[in-house]
Amino acid sequence: MASETPSRTQESRPSFVEESLYEVHKKVHPRAVSGIFATWRWALVWFTQLVYYGLCWLPWNGRQAVLFDLVERKFYIFGLVFWPQDVIFLAILLIISAYSLFLFTAVGGRLWCGYACPQTVYTEIFTWIEQKIEGERNARIKLDAAPMSGRKLWLRTAKYASWALLAFWTGFTFVGYFTPIKTVWESLWSLSLGPWETFWMIFYGAFTYLFAGHMREQVCKHMCPYARFQGVMFDPDTLTITYDTERGEPRGARKKGVDPKVIAKGDCVDCGICVQVCPTGIDIRDGLQYECIGCAACIDACDQVMEKMAYPKGLIRYSTEHAIESHWGWKEIIGHVIRPRVIIYSTILGAICLAFVWGIATKANLRVDVIRDRATLAREVEGGLIENVYRLHVINVSEAPHRYAVSVSGLPGIDMVGDRIIEVPAAGARSFSVQVRVPPESGKKGSNQIFFDVKSLADEKVAVHEKASFLQP
Amino acid sequence: MLRIMWVLWPSFVVAGIAEGIFFTVIDPQELYLFGEAVHLSKIATYSIGFLGFWAVCAASSMMTCFLQRSAAEVNKGVGVHLPPADNANG
Repeated sequence: MASETPSRTQESRPSFVEESLYEVHKKVHPRAVSGIFATWRWALVWFTQLVYYGLCWLPWNGRQAVLFDLVERKFYIFGLVFWPQDVIFLAILLIISAYSLFLFTAVGGRLWCGYACPQTVYTEIFTWIEQKIEGERNARIKLDAAPMSGRKLWLRTAKYASWALLAFWTGFTFVGYFTPIKTVWESLWSLSLGPWETFWMIFYGAFTYLFAGHMREQVCKHMCPYARFQGVMFDPDTLTITYDTERGEPRGARKKGVDPKVIAKGDCVDCGICVQVCPTGIDIRDGLQYECIGCAACIDACDQVMEKMAYPKGLIRYSTEHAIESHWGWKEIIGHVIRPRVIIYSTILGAICLAFVWGIATKANLRVDVIRDRATLAREVEGGLIENVYRLHVINVSEAPHRYAVSVSGLPGIDMVGDRIIEVPAAGARSFSVQVRVPPESGKKGSNQIFFDVKSLADEKVAVHEKASFLQP
Repeated sequence: MLRIMWVLWPSFVVAGIAEGIFFTVIDPQELYLFGEAVHLSKIATYSIGFLGFWAVCAASSMMTCFLQRSAAEVNKGVGVHLPPADNANG
């Protein structure tokens, strides 16, 4: 371990050159790490990717369970069907996501970045492939430096091809959320895929390849807006990956099992492993930095070193600014979780979540738009009756076809000509023409309020009472 | 490279948001191009719409980047002799 000390200086702080032109920066070859937090991250990689790659294949009532059908302008999510009119739910969902992010960040720091962000997840998978093909960190650095040879060519081809295959599958899955994936699959094999589906498949796949294979930490450092503003959600009680400077310094190499007090040093053995495992190539011992994505790889790595040295674990650990200052244990840290910022975020989040659930639960299954026929305002028909013409646009939001009874009310002697029973297919919309007639003495001259009632024959609760105006000449 | 990223990436994100809002409110079938209804398929309209938004946003980002150049960068090579330019932003 001590032999690796010199490498630290080259790898610690990002250099000026890197800031100005990112492609000449020193490539970060993160060393593989194992431990409790690495296990958590892999658990989330599996969970999120099983959902992403798998959900589009799940059938539901004879269709794809989750499908964002852009052509029909309908989003299917299991039993729910969303129309463009339901955009409010999407807006609420985005607000919920934002507030969840605020809350998690205030309490636990960059948990999203470290464990669940697609950039982290795909980088983790791509790095795993790289490591399986090209070997561990040192082997990869050696291979990078080696001149081109048959072996290098083979390893590189194998790596890039495996990445490309995974990236392609990711792009294919992406398109499968917008066009039924079975259709995409079949047209892929019969080479009859539409030009735009092909374009988006390659586009999404290529960006996955580029971001997860080549750009990696650069995306977090230079492209991610969240990395720049997460600091405003932090306070001195926020959990962050922290190096215990008081305990660690002065750092220095030593033999295994030496009591630090005897050699007048801190617990840090300056092995540099925390830097080697860092996916963004920073040195956590320099303090909290915006580049730190909170992946806790350095915690896992340092704990293993501490174990070997027979020192207590946790030289690098999840802790808060206050806790480090005042030497708090977990009890005090947890005691400080509840604070105004957290209470405000949770209250708002809770309220919006309730509104969302209530909105979904009471979402109308039937919508009716009444449009007056503008060509003829009012006319006299046989029997001296006055007629107005309307178009009823009936949207059946539910998943089953429905028959509805249509009636009209609001004026003495009012009646209608047209279909009294109408049928609308599942998750469909139809327009019907309705002529409404009243006796000439009914109502006042000018505009009169009338009502259309559309009621489902199968379920009385599914009904709409819609206002319209009737013109008396 | 960083400049390319500054131009292409924020414009991509904003174009995505603009696309979402625009096509939620407007059905592609309601669009007219040079006085004629758009005949393209919806997927094509959405795609071209997105690429169009992206191009417009990228043009704006590009101009921001262009105007951000320091005086020293602009004066470089036009006979004004200044101390070496502070090129920290690429």
